[in-house]
Amino acid sequence: MIKTVITSEDTSSLNLTELRRYQGLFRFLSLRDVSARYKQTWLGFGWSIIRPLINILIFGCLSYLVDRSQNFGDRFLMVSAGVVFWQLLSTAINDVSISLTANANILTKVYFPKILLPLSSILVCLIDFVIAFVLFFIFFLIFKGLPPWQIVFLPVVILYGLLFTFGIGLMAATAAVKYRDVKFILPFVVQLLFYASPVFMTSTYVLSLNLPNWIKIIYQINPFVYMLNAFKFCFYGNFDSFQWMYFGISLGIVGLFLFFAVKYFLNFEKSFADYI
Amino acid sequence: MSEIAIKVENISKKYDLLHQKGESANSLVGAFAGSFKNIFRSQHATESHEDLWALKDINFEIAQGDRVGIIGRNGAGKSTLLKVLSRIVKPTSGRIEYTGRMASLLEVGTGFHADLSGRENIYLNGSIMGMSKREIDSKFDEIVDFSEVEQFLDTPVKRYSSGMYVRLAFSVAAHLNSDILIVDEVLAVGDSTFQKKSLGKMEDVSQKSGKTILFVSHNMGLISTLCNKGILLNKGLIESNGPIQGIIDQYFKNEESETGSLSEYKYDPQPTKEYFIQKLTLLDKSGRQTRNFAHNEPIRFAFNVTKNSSLKDVVLNVYFTDIHDKRIFTTILPISEKFEVSNEATFQLTIPESTFVSGTFRISVSLQIPNLQLVDVRHGAASFDVYDNGSDLYRYSGSDVGVVFVNCKWEY
Repeated sequence: MIKTVITSEDTSSLNLTELRRYQGLFRFLSLRDVSARYKQTWLGFGWSIIRPLINILIFGCLSYLVDRSQNFGDRFLMVSAGVVFWQLLSTAINDVSISLTANANILTKVYFPKILLPLSSILVCLIDFVIAFVLFFIFFLIFKGLPPWQIVFLPVVILYGLLFTFGIGLMAATAAVKYRDVKFILPFVVQLLFYASPVFMTSTYVLSLNLPNWIKIIYQINPFVYMLNAFKFCFYGNFDSFQWMYFGISLGIVGLFLFFAVKYFLNFEKSFADYI
Repeated sequence: MSEIAIKVENISKKYDLLHQKGESANSLVGAFAGSFKNIFRSQHATESHEDLWALKDINFEIAQGDRVGIIGRNGAGKSTLLKVLSRIVKPTSGRIEYTGRMASLLEVGTGFHADLSGRENIYLNGSIMGMSKREIDSKFDEIVDFSEVEQFLDTPVKRYSSGMYVRLAFSVAAHLNSDILIVDEVLAVGDSTFQKKSLGKMEDVSQKSGKTILFVSHNMGLISTLCNKGILLNKGLIESNGPIQGIIDQYFKNEESETGSLSEYKYDPQPTKEYFIQKLTLLDKSGRQTRNFAHNEPIRFAFNVTKNSSLKDVVLNVYFTDIHDKRIFTTILPISEKFEVSNEATFQLTIPESTFVSGTFRISVSLQIPNLQLVDVRHGAASFDVYDNGSDLYRYSGSDVGVVFVNCKWEY
């Protein structure tokens, strides 16, 4: 039989055998979020297709109305690629950040590895993304045909995006256990990041603007810039405004964020029930 | 049997009362607000910070297969102890070691989602409680069967009646598979039929499976049936630890000393009255003064009455009320002729065993000539508690069984 020791010095560590034991819970937590969302709607699961579809159409068409320097197909695809991927990144940040406080009723009543909560909410975001992505891909096939060979990088790019947003979300989620202020601050941060990322405006365009140099530097070390451009790279074969130095820095930022987020989370995990 | 299942060493748990109130530390600006407040009460700046030791240096061992009842008053630290043991909160200091799989049941239906169906919730709740999908699969039919909600299995639980909801929730919990089970006062659920069934299930689980069980409840009847050992907590400390009956007795003895020695009431002499009550005493069967009685032992009251005149036809009228001040019954004794030698006499009233069900009651006394004259009155003179120590009645503790139990005559 397993022997368990509880001490006051305990901080958590990522215990893989334990996580494996709880994989059923992980599954049902994710399933809960997926299947509860469209309950009592007439369209049911149809919403998970219609929502991203409307999103793509609105942003794609709107951006063509504003800027007609390209033809409709190119402009539409360029923006909707950004919108689809940005949607994944922003909902991942948001959903992960509330994953702990939203499940306070479970956290205070039963023991389980708490990391399952943010993990399952990011999985749910990924499922939504897959649907949106398929829609985008159909549009791409219609307007452009088959994507170039660089499409093979796509899984890596998505994983990279998920790691970063998981880091930000986890840090926010942990902080939110104690400080609910996070809930109010985070939406503004995400909105700000939206404008500072190449969703509407390409990096080439932003860097060509008459802006102070330090803003351009901040813009380029923003990991979201490289993430979104990498996503587009998978479909167009050329990387917008790629510079090794800034790419390296943004990579470092992602790593640091993830590292400290996980560390902060694990240090604090055992005390969640006391503060939540 | 003698193998140690749980070993607890020097466990303490401190709570910061400020955090609990959420006054300042829960928001970033709390720091500013806090210092702002201190401007106005410069002298008492430190009093806002207070530590509460919910558990203080707790030590005990539990052998495998023991069923341990944890008892104590509200705030004694029972729930905190269960939470520390089940790893929901971290102890401030100390160490716990246990062997085997532990499941804790601090609430039924943890994580139930209102929009999901009964079926989906069985899987969700089961997995939250630590069951694997395969375990739930294999027990699914049993769970559904026990809960009696089969027809509604695909209905969202928000459409359930509250009875159906708790039945389903309890059924999942009752089929947990673990070596150690921690249960916090969750058993009194459902209607009385289901309660009987769930308590039966609980007895089954506790006595036949050989599981180690820790159990918190205020239902002493239930505890004395389910458990063989007991731990008495008082203000975060272990007061005693041993066989259950002794622990329950001590719990009530403590209750008594906490509430004061209100088993004797003395009244000032009243020379202006023809008769007056001088003293009222509550006694158990061995003549010891107490205000706590077991359901299955007789309750005795001694009334010391003094006579000042030769008024005739005076009766001693005694009646009992429940906590809602509703009269339960009255008993009457003519006393005028009973003062033979002196002007003082003692009258003893014995309520037979198994009369009052568990609860708090009041006794009122009056001396009167019926329909004519009130001589002396002591409304709500004394209160006393009756506790259940394992009668058949504890099974119905959640439902209304009335206030007195009558031993009627049955023929068959």
